[in-house]
Amino acid sequence: MANLNIDSVKARTFDAIVIGSGISGGWAAKELTGNGLKTLVLERGRDVKHIKDYPTTFKYPWEFPHHGQMPAEVTEANPIVSRCYAFGEDSAHFFVKDAEHPYVQTKPFDWIRGYQVGGKSLLWARQTQRWSDFDFEGPARDGFAVDWPIRYKDIAPWYSYVEKFAGIAGNKDGIPELPDGEFLPGYPLNDAEVYFSEHVKKNYKNRYVISARCAHLSKPNPIHLEQGRTQCQNRDLCQRGCPFGGYFSSNATTIPWAEKSGNMTLRPFSVVESIIYDEKLGKATGVRIVDTKTKETIEYYARIIFVNAAALNTNLVLLNSTSSRFPNGLGNDSGVLGKYVAFHNYSAHISAEFDGMKEWTVDGRSPTGGYIPRFRNVYKQETDFLRGYACGFGAHRYQQHKYDGVGAGLKEGLVKGDLSPWYVSSHMMGETIPKASNFVSLDTAKKDEWGVPLLNISVDYDDNDEKMKKDYIEQLTEMFTSAGFKNIQPSTNHQAPGLDIHEMGGARMGKDPKSSILNEWNQVHACKNVFVTDGACMTSTSCQNPSLTYMAITARAANHAVDELKKGNV
Amino acid sequence: MDRRTVIKNLALVLGGAVLLPSCLHHDGTSYVQLKHINLSSDQQSLIADICETIIPKTNTPGAKDLNLPPFVLKMIDDCYNKKDQEAFLAGLNKFTDLVKSKYSSTFADLSAKDREAVLTGIENSAKTTAAAPKTPARRPKPQKNLASDPLMAFYWGVKQQTIFAYTTSQYFMTKQIFYDMVPGRYIVHYPVSKLKHV
Repeated sequence: MANLNIDSVKARTFDAIVIGSGISGGWAAKELTGNGLKTLVLERGRDVKHIKDYPTTFKYPWEFPHHGQMPAEVTEANPIVSRCYAFGEDSAHFFVKDAEHPYVQTKPFDWIRGYQVGGKSLLWARQTQRWSDFDFEGPARDGFAVDWPIRYKDIAPWYSYVEKFAGIAGNKDGIPELPDGEFLPGYPLNDAEVYFSEHVKKNYKNRYVISARCAHLSKPNPIHLEQGRTQCQNRDLCQRGCPFGGYFSSNATTIPWAEKSGNMTLRPFSVVESIIYDEKLGKATGVRIVDTKTKETIEYYARIIFVNAAALNTNLVLLNSTSSRFPNGLGNDSGVLGKYVAFHNYSAHISAEFDGMKEWTVDGRSPTGGYIPRFRNVYKQETDFLRGYACGFGAHRYQQHKYDGVGAGLKEGLVKGDLSPWYVSSHMMGETIPKASNFVSLDTAKKDEWGVPLLNISVDYDDNDEKMKKDYIEQLTEMFTSAGFKNIQPSTNHQAPGLDIHEMGGARMGKDPKSSILNEWNQVHACKNVFVTDGACMTSTSCQNPSLTYMAITARAANHAVDELKKGNV
Repeated sequence: MDRRTVIKNLALVLGGAVLLPSCLHHDGTSYVQLKHINLSSDQQSLIADICETIIPKTNTPGAKDLNLPPFVLKMIDDCYNKKDQEAFLAGLNKFTDLVKSKYSSTFADLSAKDREAVLTGIENSAKTTAAAPKTPARRPKPQKNLASDPLMAFYWGVKQQTIFAYTTSQYFMTKQIFYDMVPGRYIVHYPVSKLKHV
């Protein structure tokens, strides 16, 4: 790194450039370097080396200054990131603080970011459910957004490809709307979860409660050991970075793999200002970065460019890449760039008590939980809203402590205590409909300290989301009631979009260049050597956690890019 | 690779990262340089005595043995907003006045029995209000915000932080319970009868 000779164009020229090192950028880096391409990976934040840069990973609660609680100074100065469930004294160093990287909320949007090598792959919830054609065919069947240019058969082999390498724990459930994959042994459901699963199976058509597939090494294969990873140790401290490599992150998996190839140059502290477009050649020739430490502007060149800056920042980079050919942003002939942003609706929750299975509990911790695949509007339209929701589902018991009074009795109450009944709970994960009115754009006046315009975010819920939320509460209340659960407590919240951390779209894939930015291979329609394979490419959101799909889309596009390079087509 | 070997190797990689944080003074009266609130050494000493009344030395160590008061002060200083801290400080004065009017004494000069009576008296008077957390519960964490009633803000602030300090102390998590940081297992259909501590 220190030897980068910035005076030499040759030293700044690579076969490929990958913008971003998160979950999709890491995959692009691995695939491109694995195919022999000299690849520059640009990361706007600092480097985070696996294990070495997980400073809190071995700490016991009493070793933290506030034993894990957040100081008021931090929460008051950072209201947005403080709303994220994973932001704590053990993980705060992996999150962007509100004031560090401002943006403009035309409408309230909790933009949760992780600016470092590995990005949010250190912090994700590690849920990995495949899409099916019930998802890819959604927009065409239900008449929203545009038709996906790909179908399940196009992506299925790539799901398998990334699953084998990443390591996905799951069971073969045989559910058409949630296809099975290449699984390591699945984590079991506990007794109360099994009870509900059997109840639902017996009493409801096409409704299933399964163990959620997750990116954890329940039983590593040789390929995972070769990556230097070992079995997940059920610590449930994933947000600190895992010293065992028990879950998939770029840091534990794809980035070191790319590094081992000898073909990767990783450049942290490099914020991409824009992609350079050459009018004569009719393609992109490189990227312009600002070194965040020196504020120096540097150009890097390559034959292909992968944009994996995370959904909204990818939009920002493309919008800011203007030229006389593309005055409104790279590839934006259609005018849809930045538009049709969507997310997942997590704003309803339900909990209850279960009076059975009292003689059973669990020992140890599970890295995952139960999952109810979408059951609404799957085979046909059956409600007054479009699409549907998946549900998280879990049951747990805990030791009930008494903390009345003071003195010796209190001391005893804090140690002893009966086991509680099972508590069951669920949250919704709803598909939202992409619309032109949900968009991001460049602020015309405000810029960040590197001279890049701030992003305006204007994204909101709509009536469809409200109806879906209501249906979730009704359906789950009914299912819980019929299962005999007691003290059922539905709740809704008004969390801003963004807090789901599933923002998607803005540079959507589509068949028609007039209404989309990317083709079926994630190439910018009008600039074929630029590939966008992170959340920005998503035409619709369905309701599965999206990261696995980004991985598969990225691996597919990267291998296509290599083929096209070989053929001289890009 | 064996789990213990992995942990050992990783600890070697990390080196100093596993060292314990530095300790605070063990002095019973003069403690901590606070950043956000002013507490005289008498006031700090009062809070330490309340901590010790909440978690007294029995046949196991008490709050002062475990050096909990400095941590309680640090939490009140760092983890409450200004409004809560103002209520807390106002409550501290009310508490002092209450003890004085009832016993014509300072808290420090009361017998252990009277100290307990003062605290349980306040706690029982709050049973019907929202200031009192519901019981039983999981091992409690302090609430993010304090009650608006100053006396309750003060009492619950100290009590919740003392319980938190105690239940997250190395002593408690290693000697009173076993905090299993690396379970390495998830077993379902596990008989309740096999659980420890129940």
